[in-house]
Amino acid sequence: MEDKRLITLEDISKAYDGVTVLNHINLYIRQKEFVTLLGPSGCGKTTTLRIIGGFERADSGRVIFDGQDISEIPPYRRRVNTVFQKYALFPHLNVKDNIAFGLKIKKMSAAEIQKKVDYMLDLVNLSGFGKRSVESLSGGQQQRIAIARALVNEPEVLLLDEPLGALDLKLRKEMQLELKSMQQRLGITFLYVTHDQEEALTMSDTIVVMQGGNILQIGTPKSIYDEPSNAFVANFIGESNIFSGTMVRDEMVHFCGADFPCVDSGFGEDKPVDVVIRPEDVLLVGEDVGQVTGVIKSVLFKGVHYEMMIDAGHSIWKVHSTTMQPEGSRVGLSVVPFNIHIMHPMQEENKQPQEEDAQ
Amino acid sequence: MTDFQVPVWGYWVMGAGLAAFLTLVGMYVKKNRGFKRPLFASPYVLWLALFTVIPCLLVAYFSFTDPAGNFTLDNFKNFWDSNYNARKAIDPKELESYLAMGLSLEDLGLARNAINIDTLVFSLWMAFLCTAICLLLGYPAAHIMADREFKLGPTLVILFIVPMWMNFLLRTIAMMSLLEDNGLINNVLEMMGVGRQKLLNNLAAVQLGMVYNFLPFMVFPIYNVLNKMDYKLSEAAMDLGCDKWHTFYKVTLPLSVPGVVSGITMVFMPAVTTFYISRLLGGGKVQLFGDLIEAKFLSTSLNEWNVGSALSLIMMILILASLGLLRKADPEGEGGGIV
Repeated sequence: MEDKRLITLEDISKAYDGVTVLNHINLYIRQKEFVTLLGPSGCGKTTTLRIIGGFERADSGRVIFDGQDISEIPPYRRRVNTVFQKYALFPHLNVKDNIAFGLKIKKMSAAEIQKKVDYMLDLVNLSGFGKRSVESLSGGQQQRIAIARALVNEPEVLLLDEPLGALDLKLRKEMQLELKSMQQRLGITFLYVTHDQEEALTMSDTIVVMQGGNILQIGTPKSIYDEPSNAFVANFIGESNIFSGTMVRDEMVHFCGADFPCVDSGFGEDKPVDVVIRPEDVLLVGEDVGQVTGVIKSVLFKGVHYEMMIDAGHSIWKVHSTTMQPEGSRVGLSVVPFNIHIMHPMQEENKQPQEEDAQ
Repeated sequence: MTDFQVPVWGYWVMGAGLAAFLTLVGMYVKKNRGFKRPLFASPYVLWLALFTVIPCLLVAYFSFTDPAGNFTLDNFKNFWDSNYNARKAIDPKELESYLAMGLSLEDLGLARNAINIDTLVFSLWMAFLCTAICLLLGYPAAHIMADREFKLGPTLVILFIVPMWMNFLLRTIAMMSLLEDNGLINNVLEMMGVGRQKLLNNLAAVQLGMVYNFLPFMVFPIYNVLNKMDYKLSEAAMDLGCDKWHTFYKVTLPLSVPGVVSGITMVFMPAVTTFYISRLLGGGKVQLFGDLIEAKFLSTSLNEWNVGSALSLIMMILILASLGLLRKADPEGEGGGIV
């Protein structure tokens, strides 16, 4: 990944029929970076992608590409290509002609087209499929053709709009790894849109979490997971226990009827905060040594671990553990200070967060 | 009698049109081969038998028999030469004596009269023109109405449908009163200082009436296909470097071919069998094949029903052939339907 900022979105806003879809978005994408726009449906992630692709025009703001304002440039003159959600392969053309489509528009010679198409088919593991009709291909194969059709044009940025949404779980996981390795091999900037947090964590260099037309947080998968900026992000990325509490003083937080030492500071004294604890970070200890105690309400076997719901009086804790405690037993719960994450409470969700450094 | 002739270039243009149509069909036949529809999978077989199959068989029976009910091919010979039956009816000795008197077959009104076949060719020509004009007008209209950005599209569709709920005869009579010498259009023209024009009782008026009546049958199949088309395909084309024109030419147009083929067939079929429009707007000067068949059945002469049946059968075979082509080009009936 390089430091050069390839795409910059400056103060982008968009509304449909008076409903705000994007609310003053600011974002930059570095060259060769794998950036994922992550959020629930209706959060504005696809609209952001379509504005960069040129299929929508922002109501305000600018799209800067490689130092040049491209807000008014039509899609066919932008140096980006798109992999569409349901592939949008041309049903009247065979596989080869689908891939060659962009090259033919550029009036490339037949020999060169053949060479490039063959190379792409090889890249997506579909050599020999050139003469097949696209409708005869499986979803995963169509997906690869859609990627090949976009990549053959050697775009500087590849825009991917939930490209794996229609595939089954196993195929999706395979394609995630394949896409990531393709991106690294070809050295192309990827801008990826998904609502699947696991997909985002697996593939991205940088994740942009969006909700209701706002960017909530920008960061590496690890920083998003470990340091969610508010309860929404914490909830959306992975599973979490979110409690409202009070910051007693620096490095001491009060929630669930107990004081917990933590590592966060700077929130002020006696200020309301949200507390995030990942289920795997809760330790089950003896009743007498726990910071809080509770009764195990339910136990679910999840394969790698057990998921237990524990009633600690005023709060329910979700705990992941590899050892099982029987239902109805009383346990102590403990969290090491490092694993307690303090956030400003959700009232501030509409405030545009500061763009933090992704690295 | 028709006063109008098909121009020589018309045959060439019609031939080229047919070739183009067959090419279009051919493009899609290959792809869709093997598609079979369960034709008689419904309990309406009885209905079909009573009101479709039996009447068809009756038409076939009449066309292969003479008024006495004996098998004959004379009715079809009459298609080639409308005086055939008349010449056959005359006593050969009497005919010989007339000829010996120096009278020719022309003088006797018994020479070969090609009115039937000429009228059919003329009808084909008129139907071809009508189809071509409908395509040129209808495709852009359908394209505009199916445009996602065009908010008035659905309203326009309704505006196209509503007039079709009215009887076509009524619409044609209304058109007649618009075009007549003292009609609305002429009044406006006079007010504008252009002066009154002869708008009615000519070929253009008949063609106008046909285009007006059949245009929706072109618009809707094309609209249907375009409307159902995934707009992402156009976006993909633009994404891959196509400007608006190339997007249309490379993606939209080829994908709308089933609608175009449907539209062509659905306009051409009724256009080639048109009658009445020609009489109302052509003032009796324009006779189409449909008028000819009608005249046969209204005639009091003895064997005209049989001749009329033969003409109908020929027409029906033409229509069946084009229907067969349609089914091959658009087996899923994508283009059909809205009306």
